[in-house]
Amino acid sequence: MSDALIKLEDAGVYYRGGRPKGSAAREAPWALRGLSLEIRRGEKLGIVGRNGCGKSTLLRLLAGIIAADEGVVRYAHNRMHVQLLALGVGFEGHLSGAENAILSGLFMGKSRRHMESRLNEILDFSELGEAFHAPVNTYSSGMNARLGFSIALQTDPDVFLIDEVLGVGDHAFQIKSQAAIREKFRADKTVVLISHDARTIAQVCNRAVWMNRGDILADGSPEDVCDRYENSRRFL
Amino acid sequence: MRSLFRYKDIIYYRTLAGLKSEARKNYLGYVWFLLEPLMSTGVLYFAMSHLTGQKGASALMTILLGMITWQWLEGSVMLSAGSIAAKFHVHQQVPLPKYLFPLVDIGANTIRFAFAFVIVLAACFSAGFQPGPTLLWLPVLLGLQLALIIGLSLIVSIGVTLVSDLHLLLQSLFRLLFFVSGIFFTAERVPAHLLPYFYANPMAVLIESYRAVILGGRAPDFPQLGTVAATAGALLLTGSLIQAYFDKRLLKLTNV
Repeated sequence: MSDALIKLEDAGVYYRGGRPKGSAAREAPWALRGLSLEIRRGEKLGIVGRNGCGKSTLLRLLAGIIAADEGVVRYAHNRMHVQLLALGVGFEGHLSGAENAILSGLFMGKSRRHMESRLNEILDFSELGEAFHAPVNTYSSGMNARLGFSIALQTDPDVFLIDEVLGVGDHAFQIKSQAAIREKFRADKTVVLISHDARTIAQVCNRAVWMNRGDILADGSPEDVCDRYENSRRFL
Repeated sequence: MRSLFRYKDIIYYRTLAGLKSEARKNYLGYVWFLLEPLMSTGVLYFAMSHLTGQKGASALMTILLGMITWQWLEGSVMLSAGSIAAKFHVHQQVPLPKYLFPLVDIGANTIRFAFAFVIVLAACFSAGFQPGPTLLWLPVLLGLQLALIIGLSLIVSIGVTLVSDLHLLLQSLFRLLFFVSGIFFTAERVPAHLLPYFYANPMAVLIESYRAVILGGRAPDFPQLGTVAATAGALLLTGSLIQAYFDKRLLKLTNV
């Protein structure tokens, strides 16, 4: 337990937006139910599962965006920074890339000072050059993604949550951003990656979980879990 | 409160960013906040001076003070009503308290108001009204109105996100309140048996109080202000409870 950063105990989440009119709130479909999971320090956890199995809900629950309707989520300490890898959070079109880097970093739980000290890294990594000081509504979508990715890379959370995106932008930047993500996987970071592609997870993770219908079907070594997941798909 | 302190940077820089962004977007950004009440004041003054025969700087400033303080309330609350829904994509990615977003909109609108209010004050004094010690009441009145605005906004920002029809209801409600808040008339015009109802509206009390301390050199009515303070306090408390309850539930209840 000492090295568990996040611990889910019997967690359940349901959405009320999707239930048929007139039905009781509790009859809404559960997105997660009875889920217990421990995320340990330095672990690279991959979560596989088909669409609608509750992967994204699990990430939101881990990030503290939504609360559990059942069970508990325990963090190792109060100020734990769990961050979804998100591109361009809260960008203001009329402000420059540099200004947006600071604003976006604040949204992601970083201080202004932290973001200011990383501005050069963001500028370097995003390869925006002069455009860094131009309003972001003059950017191409590729430039936007590059800026967003470079900012997210500098937020340094305790636990990084990644939803499929392993590379953004044009081909050259995709290779570079993938390399940066893989760097996170090699370093002493805690990362949770969700994907419906078992191969990616087998490549970069050191533990895998297979989710189905809001619960865990298998938990173990990536090769093992991904094999079982792939096999199950073959029969469907 | 501790969480508010933790996020003060976000509120501060988002407010500045909003104003900066607006200033780059339209040249008349700040001027509009003065121009709009000026135009409505012009129309109302024209109509009222013909109806009641009251003319001159005093009648004009009476209406202008009502208009500008009313607009601070209505503008801020209506902006806040949509501010959580407008940033829904942000809520889906980062676990920020939802109340930050109405507060940022209130902040930006309050700065615009402050800019217009200073000009209106200067206009009052250059029109011959003497600045006196009763002006010391102004911070109290402004503080009470700000509390009222924040309390209302905390409630409606969640309400409108959950049930978007409330936005239309709110618009009609504000239109109704506009006519009974004593913006283009003073309390003297209200029949005596209706006065208790008139003063039950905190905005009517505040507008009368602004006029008393700026134009009349009189102190505001203390018990009435006490009622306003109690209302504002109740709204703030209700608003905070609603925000706390829905903060981590909102995304499960709606997807806007």
